[in-house]
This record gives sequence, C-alpha cells and structure tokens, in this order.
Amino acid sequence: MTEQSCFLYRTMQLIRVCEEQLARCHARGLIHGACHTYVGEEAIATGVCWRLRPDDAVFSTHRGHGHALAKGMPPFALIAELFGREPGCSHGRGGSMHLFSPEIGMMGASGIVGPCILQAAGAAYSFQLFGGDRVAVAFFGDGAVNNGAFHEGLNMASIWKLPAVFVCENNQFATEVPFQYAAGNPDVASRAAAYGMPGIQVDGNDVLAVAEAAEEAIRRARSGGGPTLLECKTYRTRAHAEGMGDYTYRTREEVAAWRERCPIRRFRAGLITSGEATEAELDAIDAGIREEIRKAGEEAERAHWPRAEAAAAHVYAARSRAHAPEPVVDSSPRPPISLAAATLEALDYEMERNPRIFVLGEGIGARGGNFGTTAGLFAKYGAARLRDTPISERGFTGLACGAAMAGARPVVDFMFIDFLNDAFGEIVNQIAKMQYMSSGRLKMPVLLRGCIGIGHSAATHHSGSYHSIYSHIPGLRVVVPSTPYDAKGLFTHALRCDDPVLFLEPRELMSTKGAVPAEPYEIEFGKARVVREGRQATVAAIGPMVQRAAAAAEALAGEGVSVEVLDPRTVSPLDTPAILASLHKTGRLLIVDEAFGPCGIGAEIAAQAADAGFNDLDAPIRRLNGAFAPTPYSPTLEAAVTPPVDRIVAAIRALIEE
Amino acid sequence: MAIEITVPRLGWSMEEGVFSAWLKRDGEPVRMGEPLFAVESDKVTMDFESLDSGILHIPYDAPQPGDVVAPGQRLGYLLMEGEPAPEAMSIPAARAETVARPGKAPVTPRARRTAGELDVDTAALRGSGKGGRVREIDVREAFARKTEAPPPVESVPVSPLRRTIAARMMRSRENTAPVTLTRRVDATEIVRLRKQWKLRGETPPAYTDIVMKLAAVALQDHPLLAGRWEEDRIVLAQGIHVGIAVDTPHGLLVPVIRDVPALSLEQLAARSRQLIAAAQSRRITAADLEGAVFTITNLGAIGVEAFTPIIQFPETAVLGMGTIRWEVVAEGNGVLATREQMMLSLTFDHRVIDGAPAARFLRTLAALFGSPYAHCGR
Ligand SMILES: Cc1ncc(C[n+]2csc(CCOP(=O)(O)OP(=O)(O)O)c2C)c(N)n1
Ligand SMILES: [Mg+2]
Repeated sequence: MTEQSCFLYRTMQLIRVCEEQLARCHARGLIHGACHTYVGEEAIATGVCWRLRPDDAVFSTHRGHGHALAKGMPPFALIAELFGREPGCSHGRGGSMHLFSPEIGMMGASGIVGPCILQAAGAAYSFQLFGGDRVAVAFFGDGAVNNGAFHEGLNMASIWKLPAVFVCENNQFATEVPFQYAAGNPDVASRAAAYGMPGIQVDGNDVLAVAEAAEEAIRRARSGGGPTLLECKTYRTRAHAEGMGDYTYRTREEVAAWRERCPIRRFRAGLITSGEATEAELDAIDAGIREEIRKAGEEAERAHWPRAEAAAAHVYAARSRAHAPEPVVDSSPRPPISLAAATLEALDYEMERNPRIFVLGEGIGARGGNFGTTAGLFAKYGAARLRDTPISERGFTGLACGAAMAGARPVVDFMFIDFLNDAFGEIVNQIAKMQYMSSGRLKMPVLLRGCIGIGHSAATHHSGSYHSIYSHIPGLRVVVPSTPYDAKGLFTHALRCDDPVLFLEPRELMSTKGAVPAEPYEIEFGKARVVREGRQATVAAIGPMVQRAAAAAEALAGEGVSVEVLDPRTVSPLDTPAILASLHKTGRLLIVDEAFGPCGIGAEIAAQAADAGFNDLDAPIRRLNGAFAPTPYSPTLEAAVTPPVDRIVAAIRALIEE
Repeated sequence: MAIEITVPRLGWSMEEGVFSAWLKRDGEPVRMGEPLFAVESDKVTMDFESLDSGILHIPYDAPQPGDVVAPGQRLGYLLMEGEPAPEAMSIPAARAETVARPGKAPVTPRARRTAGELDVDTAALRGSGKGGRVREIDVREAFARKTEAPPPVESVPVSPLRRTIAARMMRSRENTAPVTLTRRVDATEIVRLRKQWKLRGETPPAYTDIVMKLAAVALQDHPLLAGRWEEDRIVLAQGIHVGIAVDTPHGLLVPVIRDVPALSLEQLAARSRQLIAAAQSRRITAADLEGAVFTITNLGAIGVEAFTPIIQFPETAVLGMGTIRWEVVAEGNGVLATREQMMLSLTFDHRVIDGAPAARFLRTLAALFGSPYAHCGR
C-alpha cells in the first residue's frame, strides 16, 4: 500500500468509525448539544488534507469532525470536546461546531454558515503578506454558496490572487432545503468564472478524484497561481444532525442508493482489485481504528470537566506588557496637529516597526483615505500593506478576521462606521469570540476604525454612533477618542495590544488640533481622563460631546458652579472606578452621549453608578442623548438631534437643583 | 382590559385635591353606581360613584388617604374576574412629586450616608431639593448648626443702673397714656437774661434752670400736670419738686430739685450744678433722685429740635427742650424780624389731663418766656 492509499483509507475509516461512535454517544446522552456527522462525505476532507501540511490552515463548518480528524486532530480531543470535557480540543468551550486546534492548522469550525470562506481568504492574505508557500483552505457546504461571504470572499481571493482553496461540499441539501431549489445556478464550479478563478467539479465520493483535484489546486495556490473553487458532489447519509428526522425532504430509497456509493467501500474495493492491499490487511486497519476510537471514547468519558471558574477566561488576551506612563504633553514642543494626523503618525510608526500590520479599506491606498487616515503610507509600504478593497464590508472584515487568526495585524478603515454595520456578524460572531473559542490560542489584533457622529449634513448613513452596541459585546475593545493627544496614544496601544479594537473617531473632531508628543506613546484602555476638575456635578461625556461638556462647564464656572468633566476615552473597558471616584466627590452624575439613549453606554454608566455609588448620590443620575431618531439632513433638523452646549448647561443646572 | 380609576375633576378650577378614602376594599366587587372613593377639594369631601363594574384593585403605589392628587391621576383599577393586575404602572414623573407622602420628605442616598456619618436626624430636616428632598447640603448645614458656637457678637454687659432705667422706661410705657405736644416759643428774652448775667461777670444759670423756674410758675396755674394718677383719684403735688434729666457716662439719672418756686434763679442754678456734678460722678444719694412731680429734659444742646420725651412714672408730664436758634418771624405789621426760637415738647399722661388743658399749660409757659424777668430775679 502506498503512503497515499494508506492515508486515504485510514483517514476515511477513522472519520467513519469515529462518527458512528459519536452517533451512539449522542444517543446515550454523552453529547450535550448538536452533533453533525460527516458520514458519507469522508472522501472530501481526506482527499483535500492529503496534500496539506500542518502549517497550512483549514477553516471549517458546523459539519467539521471530518476536517479536524483529516487535519490531524486525535480522536480523543474531538470526542472529549463533544463530551464537554476539559481535554477537548476547545476545552469544552465549543462542542461539535467549534473545533479549534490551531497548532495543527485546524483554525476552527464555525456555527455560522459562510465566514469560514472569508477567514480562509484572510489567512491566505497573511500567508501571501509574510511570504512562503502556506495555503489556506475553506470547507463549506452548498448552503454557503448562496451567502454573501462566498461572493465577497471568492472575489477578493481572486483579485489578490490569494493562496486559497475553496472546497464546496455539495451534499445537495442545506438542512432540508434542496440545493436544486435554492440555487439559480446549481452548478457551483461554474460560478468560479464569475470571479475569474478556476472552478473544478469532482465526484466527492471518489477520494482519488478529490485528492487529485485538491493536489492541483494546492499546487496552484502554493506557487502563486491564486485560488481555486473545488466543488465536490456528495451526499450525507445520516440526518442533518443526530436526533433529527431525515425522511420529510428525501426518500429512504435515495439515501440507501447513496449508501451504496460509500466512498470508503469504493476505495477499499479499488485497493483490493488493484492488488494494492488485501482484505486481511484492510480488516486489520479497521480493527485498529475501532480499537483506537473505543479507547478514545472511554478515555473521553473519564476525562474531567472544565472548572466553572474558566467559563469567562480568554475573553481578552492576557496583558503581556507593563505600560509606560502617559507622557506629559509639552515634552516635545511643536505645533499642534489634528486628530487625524495624530493617528496617522501612530500608524506610520507602528507599520514601520511591525511588518505584520496592513490596512484594508476603500480608497486607503494611493488616495490616502477619505479622511487622510493613511496619507503618504501607500508610497512607503506598498499595495500589499495598504490594500484598497472592493465595496465588500462584510467580506474584508471577515478577511481581516482570518488574517489575524493567521498572525497578521489588520487595520480595517471603514471611513464611516455606518458601513461597519454591514459586517456586524463578522465582528460580533467571529472577531469578538475567536480568542475565547480558541481558549486564547489565537490572538485577534484587529483594529476596526471609522468616523462616528453627527455633523456636516452627512445625514443618516454617515453619522452613526454605534459604540454602545459594540460595548455590549465581550471580546471587543471600544475606543472613542476626543483629542489628538488621546487619539495617538490610544491608537498606538490598539496597534500593540492583542485584542480586537473598534477605534471610533468623532468626525467633527478629526481636524481639531492639539499638542501631541512626537515620540510614540501608549494610553492604556480603561483609563478615563479628567478633562476638568469640579465639585458640584460630574459630567461623563463621550467622544464628540467631551468638548461640548467642557464648554458647558466653562459657562457654568462663570456662575460659580463647579463641574467636573470626565472623558472615559474607552467605553469598553469602561473606567468605572474613575466615574465612581468623581461621583463620590460631587454627588451628581450626568452622562452626555450623542448616541441614542435606550440601552446606551449612558444607561450602563448610570446602572454602575447607581449600584456601586448609591450612597454617593445626592440627585438622580441623568442622561443627555441625541434624539431617538435617524440623523436628518437639513441643518435645522440636524442641529435638533444632537445635544448642544446650552442644553448641557441646562441639564447640569437642573441636576444641581434637584 | 383593566379599567383605570382616575381622579375626576371637581369643577373647572380644581388643580388638585386630597384623596380621602376608598369606600370599597381591595379585591371587593364593585357595581356601576356604587360609591367607590372620596376626594376632598376646597374643604368639601365628595364621594364618587363607580363609572364601571369590576373587582377593585388598589396598586401598591396608589395614593394614600391624605395624599395630594391631581385630576386624571390613576387611583386604581377595576378588573374582570381572573384578570391579572397591570401592576405598578409608573406614575408620570410630573405627578410623582404631588404624590409624595406628606411628612416623609425623600432623602437622597448621599444625604442618608452623610447623616449617618455626622449623626444628624434627617426626619427633622427641611430639604432644599425638589419637592423638599433632603440633600447632602441640608445635612451638612444641620450639622454645622448643631456644632457651631453662636456667631460672635459684640456685647455690652447690662449694668444695674441700665437695668433700672430699662425697668422704669417699661413701667412708664406700660402704665401711662402718653401724648406729646410741641410748641414753638420765643426764647429771645431768656437768651438776653443769660447774657445780662454774663455781662455782669457772673456764671449764668443754665437754660434748663431758667425753663425749670418758668415751668414751676406755670405748673402752679396747671396743677394737674404735676399730679399723680392713683386709679380712683388724682393726687395733686404738695411741693413743686422738679426732676432734671442728666446724661451721665453711666446712663440717665434724674436728680430732683426741691420746691423750685421757693428758690431764686441763682439758688436754683447753684443747686442744679451741684446735683448734676454729683450725678456725673455717681456720688448722688438716693434721696436726691426721688420725689419729683415733673421733669425737664434738654436735648437742645445736642441739636435736637423736638422729640417725644418719656414720662418719669408716676409723674404726669415731662417737658423736653429743643435747641435755640435764630429764625425769621413775620411780625403783625408784615415786618420780618429775626428772633431766637425754641421748641418745647410736652409729653403728658392723657389719663390725667386732656390735650387742650395741657396745651394751655404750654401757652402759659410761652407767655412766661416773653417776660421771664419777674420770676428770674436774683
Ligand atoms: C448564517 C447561518 N444561517 C443559518 C444557519 C442554520 N444552519 C445550520 S447548518 C445549516 C445548513 C447548512 O447547509 P450546508 O451549508 O449545505 O451544509 P451541510 O449541513 O449540508 O453540510 C443551516 C441553515 C447557520 N448555522 N448559519
Ligand atoms: Mg449541504
């Protein structure tokens, strides 16, 4: 038996035996959640992984057991994970749909259909950026090809000639919806033409055909020939998930017919016919595998449970460095610079010293960004590191996710944060959760930046402030700077920390100038700045409201009213101790945020203050927010939806009179 | 659907009323037209009949008897059998204050904490916040009031003499019916009289001495002014002993010159100089401060023109002397002349004598001012 035949037979059989064992375990109640088996489709993962190296990356789906095993995951790590045990590949954090083993290039399975395509493109982007010949593979079902991620991912992979292989496991159903019904063009391979890449269709139940086609695609990717779409036609012969009914949408006869086309039986027959192996040899392999799986299952049943204290570990990267204190502003006297220039300075400096940083965005290349956020960098660092993108916000955000998983530090420049909402799922489901799901084995240094705030008659799709929404999500850091000095320090920190950061720049402040030290420095997240000290009331102001709150405090100072203004600078993490300390001093708290009031960061601050600062309160906690309405265009309407200085003054006064 | 029971408007002008009572119990079935609750407005309590039928539900945050309520404010609900209560529908913020329990001012958490630290009883405080809410500042101020020494004021101890004066003044105020009359008199002749003494190289009598002498003459024609009210009778004076108000460093003293009609002006002047000196040095005897039937007080030297002197109880009258000054006086034939004029202020006890007879005393005295010589020989 050749090495290849041995790998192909052994791997397919291992997957099959393991899946059948898992199906039994599911019936016995050992598996607590979903269990999607790969029975009938073993040839695909096996054939593709045959030519993959451990340093190549695989991005998988809800039906990922086969991918994990083919990529080299020991059955025990898989079974233990489904049993919810601590030695499982995701330490019990994931289960069937979230299998992580980045050490062997199993970059994770996803419970969301689609993102794996973008993540594979992203990893391929990193591999291309770093040089070398590593390849990224996405496995996905026929259900994923009608998803935007497929379109955006394949298009980007094509235009940038990324070393990726997109493997569609067309088992003809998405749950119970037939692909024939769901696809305008049910020929998946032919869709490759739409993106300008080769599209190959193979019999997914013929492991040699899959291996051959995959080998060719992998070779093309390694040698800089770009991506390939590989459609493997197959059929799953068990239900969509264990415990689900199977014969409402397909017949027993159809399933039985496909069982007859079992890829393992077929390959085995070939081996025997060609004389490469005997029945006895193959039976011995089968017996060995059965024993291995039985043992793995027993061991997994005995494996210990994760400790409850670990439930919220790895949400953020461990802090690795001590931080130098913030420098004094006038340490290097020079003319004031704008907020945009301050972040540009930080970005330039970090890009120079860290080749893993690259920028994605529309018009951020030669044009230098809509707000000049990358001005001059294209000439210095080139197209690969200042990558103009198609208008595929979801796509390049998902790509950034995969790039970070593979070791790069992507900076995604959205211009306006409104556009980032198109990528909500990639941020919330993928980027934010990846460190946790991988139990800290993957770092996610993704910097997502864009402008927030009302002004310039930008109207409702260029004026959003969504910091509150993102501060609700564990795993994200949310920064809202209000001065050039803060912006530079916070941006530098964002480029050095290992967590995903949303850097939300108030558009109305982009050109305001301030003193900024020329040397690089970091401002730690979660450290509020006291903008102005006072005794009678605390105003916590967010982003564009900081200046207005300071102006209000100044106006009141003229009347002898002493107001303290705090700029949290980051809304996640929130410097609750600083807010409480100020409240302890003043007894009154007003939160001014241009964003919508309900469920906003102001509500969070108020709740924390009412909880931990209850005995300090000498008045109710108040919020002042923008109107609960989309941003209108006309200047008179626009002015009416954002809190002006005089309303802040009135709110403070009212608070002091309470 | 739960039916809301709200405070009805009692007449067009009703802004608020006081909730008096429920006339049904929580959970009790109510039929349309049955009396349901009572509200008081403009001091009239009215029973209100239910507009619907149902089971009365009184929420925990409903107004209590005695609470101020506004028309439209929700009092409770009528529910159908088995219908769940729409619990704790929040009262509109604007109303919340009017619903605040009387007597129980809300205290902010910070004020409560501070009160604990400073041991201040918040129940006794009047809050400076909205709706009387007790705030930190109220607690701190209460604490300051509690601990602070009274603010330092400059004070002068009350001497026994001062106390006596005070008592006598109050006795006069409480026991007389004082009326003050003022009258301008021509002082030209008494000024000349004094000048003559000076020209002779003799120490002239004080104006007070001269006026005392003339007043004593006038009192003989108007004895009631030297009388004493004794409820059932007025006791007339046996001798015209006249007090003279003396401003001493210790306070007012009134030495008495006895039997003034019996003294020549020279004797009188000598006696008064002697008594005044004794008073100033506080060596005067009690006997010299007793027995006056009339008193003269002179503020003219300090520039006062007219005033309302206070009667030295139990005397009946006191005569105040104003300053003497040149004034232009129209004479009968239209000629203007300059004369030295003085204002006399007579305060008398109206119980003893009426205004007109008192005025006549002043007229007599004015006449004596015109020709003092007969009484002011040496
Ligand atoms: C974005 C998204 N939508 C819906 C689902 C629910 N879901 C889980 S598996 C599945 C069918 C996926 O079909 P396919 O991609 O063909 O994979 P297969 O199960 O056939 O292997 C669906 C709809 C999901 N996980 N993600
Ligand atoms: Mg499918």
